[in-house]
Amino acid sequence: MSVALVAVLAPLAAALSIASLRRAAPWLALLGAFASAAAAWATLRATAAGASFSASVEWLPAVRLRMDVDPLAALLSATVASVGLLVLVYAVGYMAGDRGTVRFYALMSLFLAAMQSLVMAGDWLLFLGSWELIALASYLLIGHGFARDEVGSAAGRAFLTTRAADVGLYLGVFVLFHETGTTAIGATVASGGAVGTLAGQLLLVAAAGKAAQVPFQGWLAAAMVGPTPVSALLHSATLVAAGVILVVRAFPLLPPGVLLVVGVLGGATAVVAGLTAIAQRDLKRLLAASTSSQLGLMLVGLGAGSLAAGAFHLVVHAAMKSALFLGAGVFQHERRSTEFRRLRGAGKEARWAFAAVAVAGLALAGVPPLGGFWSKDTVLAAAFGSPAAWLLAPLALIGSLLTAVYVARALRLVWTGDEGATKRAAVRERGGRGGRRAASVWMGVGLGGLAAAAAALGAFVAPIESILGHLPELATATVLGVVVASVGLAAGWLWSADTLLGRLRPWAESGFQVGAGLATFTTQPAFALAQAIDALDGVLHRAVVAGAANVLAVARRVSTADRVLHQLVEATAAAVLAMARVARSGDEHGIDAMIAALVRRTLAWGRASRTVQSGLVHQELVWAVGGTAALLALLSFVGFAPG
Amino acid sequence: MTIFLPLVGAIVLLALPRSGARFAHRVGITTSALTLLGALAMWWRGVGTGFSQIEEVAWIPSLGAAYRVGVDGISLPLIVLTAVLFLASFVFSAKIDERARSYVSLLLLLETASIGVFAALDMVLFYLFWEVTLVGMYFIIAGWGYAERQRAALTFFLYTLLGSLPLLLAILALYLGSEPRTFDMRVMIDAPPLTGLAAMLTLVALLVAFAIKTPVVPFHTWLPAAHVEAPTAGSVVLAGVLLKLGTYGLVRFALQMTPDAFRAAAPLVIVVAVVSALYGALAALAQTDLKRMVAYTSVNHMGYVVLGVAAAAVATDAGTRALALDGAVLQMVAHGLVTGALFLLVGMVQDRTGTREMGELGGLLGVVPLLGWSFVLAAFASLGLPGLAHFPAEFQVFLGAFGVYPLAAAFAVLGIVITAGLYLRAIQASFLGEPTERHVVMPDLGLREAWAVVPLLLLTILLGVAPRLVLDVIARAS
Repeated sequence: MSVALVAVLAPLAAALSIASLRRAAPWLALLGAFASAAAAWATLRATAAGASFSASVEWLPAVRLRMDVDPLAALLSATVASVGLLVLVYAVGYMAGDRGTVRFYALMSLFLAAMQSLVMAGDWLLFLGSWELIALASYLLIGHGFARDEVGSAAGRAFLTTRAADVGLYLGVFVLFHETGTTAIGATVASGGAVGTLAGQLLLVAAAGKAAQVPFQGWLAAAMVGPTPVSALLHSATLVAAGVILVVRAFPLLPPGVLLVVGVLGGATAVVAGLTAIAQRDLKRLLAASTSSQLGLMLVGLGAGSLAAGAFHLVVHAAMKSALFLGAGVFQHERRSTEFRRLRGAGKEARWAFAAVAVAGLALAGVPPLGGFWSKDTVLAAAFGSPAAWLLAPLALIGSLLTAVYVARALRLVWTGDEGATKRAAVRERGGRGGRRAASVWMGVGLGGLAAAAAALGAFVAPIESILGHLPELATATVLGVVVASVGLAAGWLWSADTLLGRLRPWAESGFQVGAGLATFTTQPAFALAQAIDALDGVLHRAVVAGAANVLAVARRVSTADRVLHQLVEATAAAVLAMARVARSGDEHGIDAMIAALVRRTLAWGRASRTVQSGLVHQELVWAVGGTAALLALLSFVGFAPG
Repeated sequence: MTIFLPLVGAIVLLALPRSGARFAHRVGITTSALTLLGALAMWWRGVGTGFSQIEEVAWIPSLGAAYRVGVDGISLPLIVLTAVLFLASFVFSAKIDERARSYVSLLLLLETASIGVFAALDMVLFYLFWEVTLVGMYFIIAGWGYAERQRAALTFFLYTLLGSLPLLLAILALYLGSEPRTFDMRVMIDAPPLTGLAAMLTLVALLVAFAIKTPVVPFHTWLPAAHVEAPTAGSVVLAGVLLKLGTYGLVRFALQMTPDAFRAAAPLVIVVAVVSALYGALAALAQTDLKRMVAYTSVNHMGYVVLGVAAAAVATDAGTRALALDGAVLQMVAHGLVTGALFLLVGMVQDRTGTREMGELGGLLGVVPLLGWSFVLAAFASLGLPGLAHFPAEFQVFLGAFGVYPLAAAFAVLGIVITAGLYLRAIQASFLGEPTERHVVMPDLGLREAWAVVPLLLLTILLGVAPRLVLDVIARAS
């Protein structure tokens, strides 16, 4: 396992060290990619010899993250690592002078690590995690030149389209986990029946989104605003290929009905995207549409029931398409544009680049003995051999025909045309050639390596077959394939897009948009709904505030009533107090005064009585009798006084 | 214990009336740093099954109320989260000069109360701390918020006060139902005291109380209003800590003390949770004010928490129940870290540009790269990218909910597309493209700001890569 792990960890380490050191970014990235490629090839050799690797770690309490490397995973890993390495070599030349190289190389390395982890994932959680990290890295890479206005929206569109489709992946994984109690890919894909149909369809939605199949194909063309090495990597072996890899991984799960859907979806995309490619006025946009169409052919192979055919075309296409993008990048450096209008004759200025592009292009068109011929041949043979051959075979043949047409058209537009004036202008504009030559060496090595692979992969059919299993063969398919390739090449070279497509061209150029594209049916309603919810929320909040205000109003009224009540109580209290005061003053002025007066009068009488005490017995007797009578009368008066 | 450390700081500060702003902030940062150390020490001591690190002091014996605190796998991560977020808030707030002493004291009081709610094992104590958080937050918003702060603070206060009443009633019902009567929460959890109609009525009261606090639709409208006017640190604490009180209560009271009633009511709760998640996401999509947008995403994320808790309530097998509940608790922690970081970053943008309107911003990634990339990282964490904190949480919630109500989970998953859309839109409008002319030159992350936000981002990554660091603790309780 340790060797296979290096394939994942080396680019990851490169990404982290670039981000933290912020220097020597290209070298660290190349080192990581080289180590990854070496490890991937070593793993491929070992697995081809019968070894298998696996490792797992318990990441969540009930869920293990697993890596399982079978020969197929090792082949995909080697493909990713090799394309990644060569694209990075090219990028050293292409990105020289760019200001954001630290970010660029860190993200490219992160991207490669995530992609390696995806192809080796042995459980759906790791697969899903890698899948989303790839989306993040590609979002940031497409958004590399974020100061330009259209870049942010293109990057956002790529992320959002694929994430919307990812709901299918999430739900598919939930279904499988619910059914089997595990997320291990090997165990889950064994469950068939209704679960297989449901989960298979859900996974297919995610695959179609990632692989830019109908109806999700639109984001890929917009994503071309990223730097060309990014396009080369994202749209050949990695980002979009992940969609096909998902179908490859889920292949054993898919019942015949779902497989037919896979095939028809791929065939339809091959035709629709092929027409779109023919109509493009920009080389990179043509290549983007071509990617959709080729991924469609892979799905035809898978849908026809041949895992090997789909996977073989995936590997060969990775080399062909990345070479084509890198070639487009060379022309782009020459002419500072990828519009065909500006590229006329650019091939004659950069002949070695044109040669590489031509080789890769002819391989893509299916010209023997180049690599693409072999892989396309197996796809066609698989289509003819499928139970639904009446449907898949014509779609695959038309897809191949259209491929040859747009390849020839692209080659014609880049090779022919009045180049004299533009060439001289370009030479003047460029100035110093020394740095450019150094840059062009790096770019040449990367482009040449990939073009050579695109040409020569046909020589390795036998070892690939030993890894992937039986590759379908059919003489009829081979003959028809060569015929449509020749016819298509001739048509594309001889006739213009307007002649070929007629009144269909504007529609085809827009990628067969209905209305304002997918957005009409997704983002716009979502925004409308969001606005409605926002309005509703305002109403809700006002209602609550109004409710609170009502409560406050009631409270105020209660408070007013309370005050009135309080005043009443106070008034009553005051009245009582007043009465009490009256009573008290009655007390003071009545009883107390009376008693005081009584005392005063008693004293006065006492003084007066002194004069009466004369000492004469008869006189005193008279006073004693009279006094007693008076005292009795007085006492009886006091005893009945109010009090 | 750790609960009262912040309070000690606040008292120290109040005891020194003539100390300056710098001193106040120093006290605040030191105290909250010590509190974090205390919380980490609690983490280090760990939890067994059930409650650990229990402290018990007699308080009102005649009523069966006592000072009882302790932690389990659910409350411990939330206590550590609280300590982390308060420290970040104090660091970020160190620029505030206006009445710094009262500000720091209030925030420290709030920290004590928040940790107290999570640690309380006595319902009276719980209610006491619960109410104190309310008062503390009210004064933070009313005293240090933006233009409309008085009104927002009052709305917040009235709304959440309204939620306290049913909580009090529910607590009384639980108390009256217990035999012998006690406020001890452990007793309630071990042997839920209520059955039948009483339990259902109590559950309804609890659900209303916690629905307002969490908040879920339609009780959420106080949230954006409060966030928009709250000062940055206030928003961090409000979203990061106070919202968790609602979902924590949902687990601690509704799920653990009235489990049968909750099981019966779960379908309704699940509908509310899913509606809340989608409603919050869509409402956020419609916002043009960055802070309002982040506030609404809280409604979305807390909807997932409620979904997880409700799924745990109905799940019949232990595996699904653990999956859903683990996910819900982890989601609380993740939301605290990520939303805390987002509010800090939006606050920094506002400090620099004076606006939070996406239309008036643009190209900030080129002008302030560190701030910009931090926002991008936090935004992708919030939209649930693998390798960052929300992913393991939401994945478990969805997986658990799918085992019980597949359709509800299917609808809830749509939320991740909407949140992706709204964050990409915000990034594109504010950080990509050409910088607007007014905002071409401004300073990037300062030291104070970096110390506040970078730890949160690092923890977000750590939790996303190795969720078991926290899940193993949570799993002790679920």
